[in-house]
Amino acid sequence: MLEAFIYSAVIALITGTVLPLLYRSKKSRKASFGLSFVSSIFLLAFAGTILYTGKEPVFSAIRFLPGLDFTLTADRLSGGFILLIAAVVPGVSIYSVEYVEHAKSEARKDLQAALTNLFILAMLMVVLAGNMVCFLVFWEIMSLSSLMLVLHDYFLEENKKAGLFYFIMTSLSTAFLFMGFISLFKLTGSAEFGSLSYPANDLTLPFLCLFTGFGIKAGLVPFHKWLPYAHPAAPSSISALMSGVMLKVAIYGFLRFLLSISTPELWWGTLILIAGSLSAVLGVIYAVKESDIKRLLAYSSIENIGIIFTGIGLYLIFKLEGIESLALLSLAGACFHAFNHALFKSLLFLGAGSVVHATGTRNIEAFGGLIKRMPHTTTLFLIASVSIAGLPPTSGFVSEMMLFQAYFYSSALPDPLLKVLLIITLSVLALTSALAAALFVKLFGITFLALPRTRCAQEATEVPKPMLLGEAVLAIFCILSGLFSSRILALLGFDLGIPDMLLLGLILVGTCGLVWITVRNSGPSKTRISKETWGCGILDQFPTMEYTSAGFSEPLVVIFKKIYRTEISSTRTYSDTKESIFNSGTARIHLIKFFEERLYLPVAYAVSLISSQVSRMQNGKLDTYVLYVFIAVLTLMTFTRYFA
Amino acid sequence: MNASFLLFTLLNTGFILLVSPLFMSLIKKVKAYAQGRKGPRLLQNYLDLRKLMQKEVVYSPNSSGIMRIAPYLNLAVLLLASLFVPVVFIPDAPAGIGNIIVFLYLLAIERFFTALCGLDAGSSFGGMGSSRLMSLSAVIEPTMVIAFAALAYVLRTVNFHEMFAITAGSTIPESPTLTLISISLFIIIIVETGRIPVDNPATHLELTMMNEAMILEQSGKNLALIELTHAVKQTILMAILINVLVPWGLVTELTFAGLAVSCLYFLLKASLLAGLIGLFESSIAKMRLFRLPSFYMMAFFFSALTILMEVFA
Repeated sequence: MLEAFIYSAVIALITGTVLPLLYRSKKSRKASFGLSFVSSIFLLAFAGTILYTGKEPVFSAIRFLPGLDFTLTADRLSGGFILLIAAVVPGVSIYSVEYVEHAKSEARKDLQAALTNLFILAMLMVVLAGNMVCFLVFWEIMSLSSLMLVLHDYFLEENKKAGLFYFIMTSLSTAFLFMGFISLFKLTGSAEFGSLSYPANDLTLPFLCLFTGFGIKAGLVPFHKWLPYAHPAAPSSISALMSGVMLKVAIYGFLRFLLSISTPELWWGTLILIAGSLSAVLGVIYAVKESDIKRLLAYSSIENIGIIFTGIGLYLIFKLEGIESLALLSLAGACFHAFNHALFKSLLFLGAGSVVHATGTRNIEAFGGLIKRMPHTTTLFLIASVSIAGLPPTSGFVSEMMLFQAYFYSSALPDPLLKVLLIITLSVLALTSALAAALFVKLFGITFLALPRTRCAQEATEVPKPMLLGEAVLAIFCILSGLFSSRILALLGFDLGIPDMLLLGLILVGTCGLVWITVRNSGPSKTRISKETWGCGILDQFPTMEYTSAGFSEPLVVIFKKIYRTEISSTRTYSDTKESIFNSGTARIHLIKFFEERLYLPVAYAVSLISSQVSRMQNGKLDTYVLYVFIAVLTLMTFTRYFA
Repeated sequence: MNASFLLFTLLNTGFILLVSPLFMSLIKKVKAYAQGRKGPRLLQNYLDLRKLMQKEVVYSPNSSGIMRIAPYLNLAVLLLASLFVPVVFIPDAPAGIGNIIVFLYLLAIERFFTALCGLDAGSSFGGMGSSRLMSLSAVIEPTMVIAFAALAYVLRTVNFHEMFAITAGSTIPESPTLTLISISLFIIIIVETGRIPVDNPATHLELTMMNEAMILEQSGKNLALIELTHAVKQTILMAILINVLVPWGLVTELTFAGLAVSCLYFLLKASLLAGLIGLFESSIAKMRLFRLPSFYMMAFFFSALTILMEVFA
């Protein structure tokens, strides 16, 4: 039964990949997205069965060489992440049916449909991979297919840069993974994933490599810079998949490694916790300042990945300190946040795609008043915004609450220094979640409310039905996952004692109704539309009077100016010696891209310096290369003679 | 759901709704006395609310559904939050009601939609108010969470109902550290209800406005709902401080005499606290906007200190 589900899903995805390339027509593109929708239903059934029954099936698919199998396995961890894929894909595929038709050329439409399916397939196979080889192969397919999708509008200069950036970072990530897996292989002598019971100091190198590798792919600070470049470049449906699912696949990989270790060390947990908290707060602080809608959402993904890593760090700390209940709560919180973030962030990216499609720009400052022009998109976007801002009874709140609850109970920890660390990271998490609320008030308020600020927002119209339907599917999942959170978790066997959001939601709706009825029935209910918004007597209100995105975030920019690293330098010359009569001067405001200028560029310069030296050895003559080989052999022989 | 909880929802919510406007008037009265004026009478707020209820609602043509829904939603949210803070008696509540994290985020819902209302009509005042509110609330959030975490640390539970059952059972504050938390809680009341030195509720000057700026566009019934929401929020926050610091009188069993005593005690203690807030407001000047984070740090310091004392005790 399980085999039937998984093979049907895989076959559907493969057909979906091949079909639009073979038969190039609108129909086959539609069929291709239809197939990815169908595959997600099979995946849903598969993941549901695995999660509920706890079965751990093993499918040995292809044997390439002796000892080199493509084994597929699934357990409850991978089941959870397959569920995540299965939850995001339906919405994205329905949305794409219409969205893909807006690409400029037929060839690129076909390619986008095919690559979307390939991308989904690769992510699915990474999660199902039973050994390291299989994992890395599909990991690379996942990276490359998403790279091609990022380069969808390859002719734009900024997209070329984004593609290159993404390519370098993702290759770096794979390189670290290779190193990590090879060092694990040296320890165990086996490429299978399985439990590892080695002394922790043997595992230090694999841990650091895998943490860095998966951290780069997940977008952990300071390896996060590819996200704000790649997301605006990719089509919105792809951004939704990348942010919603691909980052979570990296989390899955990291968890797969971490949970298989029987002897982790405390400093790992501390490192993960600190890196997570830092990512969370820096991600949201950068997002607040951003006014490109998709780049803003990319930064917000960095924030949420940070929150997930915070949960993983807490899990490790509590587990090592022997508080099993809190460890379980944090781990469940991290996984549930990964799931919820997948839902609402894909919804937000799809919504952003609709807005960009309707207005033709990504700049928030150009929007405004879209609630009157695109009411359905607005409602769906509001659901996602409320969720990501972590307001009860939505799903985003539940997972954050689980982490908060773990923090609040941490008085049971025996080590005082750890407690101090937890207090600091707790306040960072609190700051993060409040800033996220501010961020989404800004994004929603400036984009959808008040008057349109430009012509393009003025003339925006509602997007076609399939796009709305795709978003609506995600929105429904998002709401259900919030309301039934404690029931879903209980069904999966996690009885965590968290508040029941269904009860809360029902009381809230009931109270709302009660207030409504009471107020309606007390006194006359007359309403009137006035001529204008009150503006101190100014009769006509212009869009230029509205608050802008930059204006909205100004107080936060001032408060956190140390973090933004804004350099304001000025020179003045005076006409007199007492410096009282101002003559002339200059002022300069410079935004330092801290990570790029201080971390990435020096490394890049060093690499290019070394490679320019190395390239001098290349002269294209055969005899020189023979000489190199000769020297290399001699060196090796000497080396093995004396040192081995 | 049981009978005790159902009765509690009616009594507690009703009581809080009933007395909330009174404390608003009381603070105004104390401020007026401090300034040498006579001030409005104590029932003035009730009369204002009644009058606003009779008036028509005027909407700006630029405004959207947000402005029409938010006042109702916000009051409902605050009424839900009032179930988390028992004032009349401590019921046998279903799991999850009373959770302090849920409570904190219920307040966040109110803030979120108030800020959206501020942006809705497209007025620059509203935008300014919501921008300031969201920025400053982001900076106060760590303080709030740490203060509540400190409560959870000291009382070893994350549920208000259980916390108050512990504090009400003892005659002196359960732990001396609770006094420290109370200072933070007091600052939180000042910040959350938008009082001097954070914001001035009596002003209509754009330089100082935060909360008032966001509701400039509101009128009639919606304004009444917003005023009531504000009053309820203040009462709930005051009730937390009272139940932590001076919990005497709060009963855990449901008897008629007990209820009466509980209500009377609360009325007395909250009136004193309201007087204190009024005096505090009168004795201090409005701070510059960007000085406020350092004011918040003070509250942060006290609650962090509490936790540290618990940690190293």
